[in-house]
Amino acid sequence: MGSRRLGPYLLATAIAWAAVWFLVPSQGRSDEIDFDRQIRPILANHCYACHGFDAHSRQADLRLDTRDGALTSGSGDAIVPGDPNASQLVQRILHDDPGAIMPPPEFGKPLTPEQKQLLQRWIETGAVYAEHWAFQPLNTKTTGRSEPATAATPSEMIDHWIAVGHGSGSLREGSGSLRDPTKVRGANHDSTNVRGANRDTGLTSGANHDLTFSPPAPPETLLRRLSLDLIGLPPTLAEQDAFLLQYKVDPQATYAATVERLLASPHYGERWGRWWLDQARYADSNGYSVDSPRQIWPYRDWVVAALNNDQPFTEFTIEQIAGDLLPNATESQKIATGFHRNTPHNEEGGIDVEQFRIENVVDRVATTGTVWLGLTIGCAQCHDHKFDPISQTEFYQLFAFFNQQDEPKLKVNYSNPSTAATTETPTETTTLVLQERTQRRPTHVLIKGDFTRKDAEVSPGTPAVLPPLTARGAIPDRLDLARWLVSPDNPLTARVMVNRVWQVYFGRGLVESDNDFGLQGTSPSHPELLDALAAQWIEQGWSLKQLHRWIVMSRTYQQSSSVSEQLREIDPDNRWLARQQRVRLEAELVRDAALVASGSLTATLGGPPVYPPLPDGAMSLGQVNRPWKPSTGPDRFRRSLYTFTYRAVPPPFLNVFDAPDGVQTCTRRLRSNTPLQALTLMNDAGFFELAQNLATQIEAEGMVAAFRRCTSRHPSDEELAVLAGLTSLDAARVLLNLDETISRE
Amino acid sequence: MDSQPTKLATSIVHQTTRRHFFSQCGVGLGAISLANLLSDGSSLAAAPDGTTDPLQPKPPHFAPRAKRVIFLFMAGGPSQLEMFDYKPKLQEYNGQPIPASMIEGKRFAFMDSSHRIDLLGGRQAFAQHGQCGAWVSDLLPYTAKVVDQLTILKTCQTDLFNHAPAKLFMNTGTGQFGRPCLGSWVTYGLGSESNDLPGFVVLQSGPRGPRGGAVNWSSGALPTTYQGVPLRNQGDPILNLSNPSGITAQQQRELVDRVSQLNLKRLVETGDQEIATRINAYEMAYRMQTSAPELMDTTAESAETLAMYGIKDPKETTYARNCLLARRLVERGVRFIQLYHTNWDHHGGPTENLEKHLPEICRDIDQASAALVLDLQQRGLLDDTLVIWGGEFGRTPMGEVRESTGRNHHIEAFTMWMTGAGLKPGLTFGETDELGFGPVGEKAHVRDIHATILHLLGLDHQKLSIRFQGLDLRLTGVEPARVLQELLV
Repeated sequence: MGSRRLGPYLLATAIAWAAVWFLVPSQGRSDEIDFDRQIRPILANHCYACHGFDAHSRQADLRLDTRDGALTSGSGDAIVPGDPNASQLVQRILHDDPGAIMPPPEFGKPLTPEQKQLLQRWIETGAVYAEHWAFQPLNTKTTGRSEPATAATPSEMIDHWIAVGHGSGSLREGSGSLRDPTKVRGANHDSTNVRGANRDTGLTSGANHDLTFSPPAPPETLLRRLSLDLIGLPPTLAEQDAFLLQYKVDPQATYAATVERLLASPHYGERWGRWWLDQARYADSNGYSVDSPRQIWPYRDWVVAALNNDQPFTEFTIEQIAGDLLPNATESQKIATGFHRNTPHNEEGGIDVEQFRIENVVDRVATTGTVWLGLTIGCAQCHDHKFDPISQTEFYQLFAFFNQQDEPKLKVNYSNPSTAATTETPTETTTLVLQERTQRRPTHVLIKGDFTRKDAEVSPGTPAVLPPLTARGAIPDRLDLARWLVSPDNPLTARVMVNRVWQVYFGRGLVESDNDFGLQGTSPSHPELLDALAAQWIEQGWSLKQLHRWIVMSRTYQQSSSVSEQLREIDPDNRWLARQQRVRLEAELVRDAALVASGSLTATLGGPPVYPPLPDGAMSLGQVNRPWKPSTGPDRFRRSLYTFTYRAVPPPFLNVFDAPDGVQTCTRRLRSNTPLQALTLMNDAGFFELAQNLATQIEAEGMVAAFRRCTSRHPSDEELAVLAGLTSLDAARVLLNLDETISRE
Repeated sequence: MDSQPTKLATSIVHQTTRRHFFSQCGVGLGAISLANLLSDGSSLAAAPDGTTDPLQPKPPHFAPRAKRVIFLFMAGGPSQLEMFDYKPKLQEYNGQPIPASMIEGKRFAFMDSSHRIDLLGGRQAFAQHGQCGAWVSDLLPYTAKVVDQLTILKTCQTDLFNHAPAKLFMNTGTGQFGRPCLGSWVTYGLGSESNDLPGFVVLQSGPRGPRGGAVNWSSGALPTTYQGVPLRNQGDPILNLSNPSGITAQQQRELVDRVSQLNLKRLVETGDQEIATRINAYEMAYRMQTSAPELMDTTAESAETLAMYGIKDPKETTYARNCLLARRLVERGVRFIQLYHTNWDHHGGPTENLEKHLPEICRDIDQASAALVLDLQQRGLLDDTLVIWGGEFGRTPMGEVRESTGRNHHIEAFTMWMTGAGLKPGLTFGETDELGFGPVGEKAHVRDIHATILHLLGLDHQKLSIRFQGLDLRLTGVEPARVLQELLV
């Protein structure tokens, strides 16, 4: 510690200043510093671990996560607003003694000169703290220059804010994605400038981006994109023909009618049901070592039906968190509580049952926090959250809501009209549900999360940083919690869900860290759009189908995804959406698309899981060899959503394409690209069978039709030439292995 | 065998393919990016901007001692008290209750049933071996001969005492699912030097798969590129490795070529660099179809080598054969190789006791483990290969109430050994108390072991991290972990 040897650091400062001066674009030189975007990430990543919210691990009694703390705690002069040189923080970050510099070298996260500079400028201009954006109410009143027209539809609103982000400021007609491609390599247009400029503003603004919308995608691409995005299946030949014919006459009406057709399709619930089941960590076995099968597919069918019925997200939430507590709860509402029965269950000998019950409750708290609130509440299991204002006590207050349930099996009546006729379908089955206990369990804070070390008793409650919960009775219960989650006052849930839907359509969210809206998360790229969409969504009754409609009807969504080298250089991550994003299909859809393309799909909805063929030996990798008798007949070709999934040995064709294994909530899938995927598509018996079916189609309809079945577009002559001379089977294998066949463009 | 001609043929096919691309695909893509796209080896990394092969070799944080790892995982919890941790006093106190002070506040598996507090004397004869004088029991005569090569850790500690969570802990540093395992971290951090085999390979032997299954080699929050690929001894060594029945090698080559031609056209149309990665993935998959069977074909190994490992029938799936395959994988540049051998869970049940079943499983692994060390040494590979031997935990000094003799799971102190690059040979690290219950002095927590392994590979365990669910996720987590400098040369 100390203020000795200031000389060298002043010199260093001067040099750093000079260096930064050249890097910061002229607009960014203003004294306005945005705490949320510029300062908070530095403090959160480099300082809060030892000087943050967690009092137990706080060093030197100094906290920097609040202005009050920074001005008064520790030695009391960590930050002296307006006077960087008098601020200990500045002295320490610029210190040249490894024993005194902050962050300490062993922390492994040194500050860059630019970051040091920013901190100094921030202190110089008064060290203003802002409340974390995500904990503030939705901002529906945009101020100043950039407001969209009041009469704008939600889709137009999307396009407005994306255009603002492009830097074009209005919905101009653009013939390409660059306003002036000749300028791209100019000094004002390098990517450093682009990003730097944006960081320096608190709002969506891209004055330096010089981007505009890409032209609309060709009609064939649009139909395929819509179809894969809304129902998870590529269009059939008949659908393609009809669409192309009508599109020539009236593009807008045809497009809109297609959106409505797809949203009304029962396959919509399957496609978006899988999106929800990822978050619900759904699978068909108990996990851990023994990994016995379990029966909870009625919950899966409940999800599909709820989405198909466009159940408002409020009710969708309440029934899953606390359906059993609703007055005169129906069977369906009880089935919905299966959401939190998707936790693993350890059947190993010699375990302490209470230990694993507690682990499940912990998982329920963490999953609820991640899925609805976009917060890493689970981090507070063992200690106060290091970054977000969530104390360990508050973690166990949430824990107390989920500590009061028995975990029974519920007998349910199963009547699926599409399969009820077959004799093998049971009419009565069971599913796993939650059920409130009559006798309350006391809940204690557990020291370091260890269930054998009980600390103070706590009662159910929600984190103080969020709006208060209203309880029906003396002690709040799960139903109160569920209603609190979807209360219009809650600043997080709507933002989180809107963002999580958005990221499916564009490959990334407006907030990239979709599961962390806390202080360490990323700031929204388009904050006004996020809030406007969330507010609209709430106002219009939390309808997911509406939200989908708004997005797919936007110009932003309908752009071409082709990317020029110049555009990629300006915006490599496609953060500003001057193009659509080409993405590989999700695991289930890779196979489902092949099922449709080869004319093999059994389109039946719901019912017990099925067993498509797997490679020999695929099930022998776990502790217990699980039998896998491949389904014969129509069940062999059901959508992959219905494939039985063992957590310990997930089906290889899904696992290899990054399907989650259901051991914890998954809010965003990875998209890897590996040789094992190639081996699967080329050689897997299941895919080979589909190639054989496609070969039959080639013989019946010809190569052009087969190409269209796989890619949803007409092949060029050059492409047909590559396929020439192959047998039907070889050509079918080529088509099913194309990158385009497993992509959405 | 004929692996050379096969390789040559493959290479010619490749060159033909490349020429084919250049001549046929007159679609305006620069020849430079094409060359980058299709060339072998490290230049795979040089695919057009942004796109790199995720398994391309990457520089470590600092100069490494080891370039690759073989982890011999003894699944179930080997009894250190019958193998390495010689405790005459335990013998003396056989049948007496363990002092209450020792177990106060400790928790064990099976606390409600067969767990008991009476001490069970070690059941094997021990002797000191080698120059270093390390104690090894008569169950491990071959291992005893190589003790001067080994670094023995007697005070290993873990946090969890049930198999599946403890295995996860040893592999991922946490008992929770969904975290990347050691092998994934290492291939994520360093890439792979093999261009035609996966960077992280898993081999299994014994009567059953390891508890927890594929989560033990899961890449967790890392892309599946980095997950362990099980190599199987029966059927296809890698799932879906063989061509579908009736498809010839020529047809398969045609498939890859034409798929890549069409993909290349699409790459030009869309500008999506992921397509370049996919073209590379198909080439590597095709190479794997040749190289994996060639790897598994041990007929070219000499009779002496087979004898050294104790392999009687090279076709049989044994731990010994897997050790030999581990050496062959190392020779081919594979970064991380993990062997699982079951079942070490000697509670004293009818099929898992210390009298009969422990000696059997020791015979399974003793000769081959020692042979692997010698073989690597003879071939100059031990200098930069790290070999690790051990299970998810050890076994209690107390016996169990079961049909015959056995011990419960023990997490306070158990034995592992390591050898190879950068380790002090002949060193024994840590001592346990006279009953073998807990460490006296220095201990090697799993986190310390992880930190040390990464250190040997030139990786700083504090730096090797990814952002995941609000955390900077690291193998060693947030609790203290230290590199065990005492082990290092």
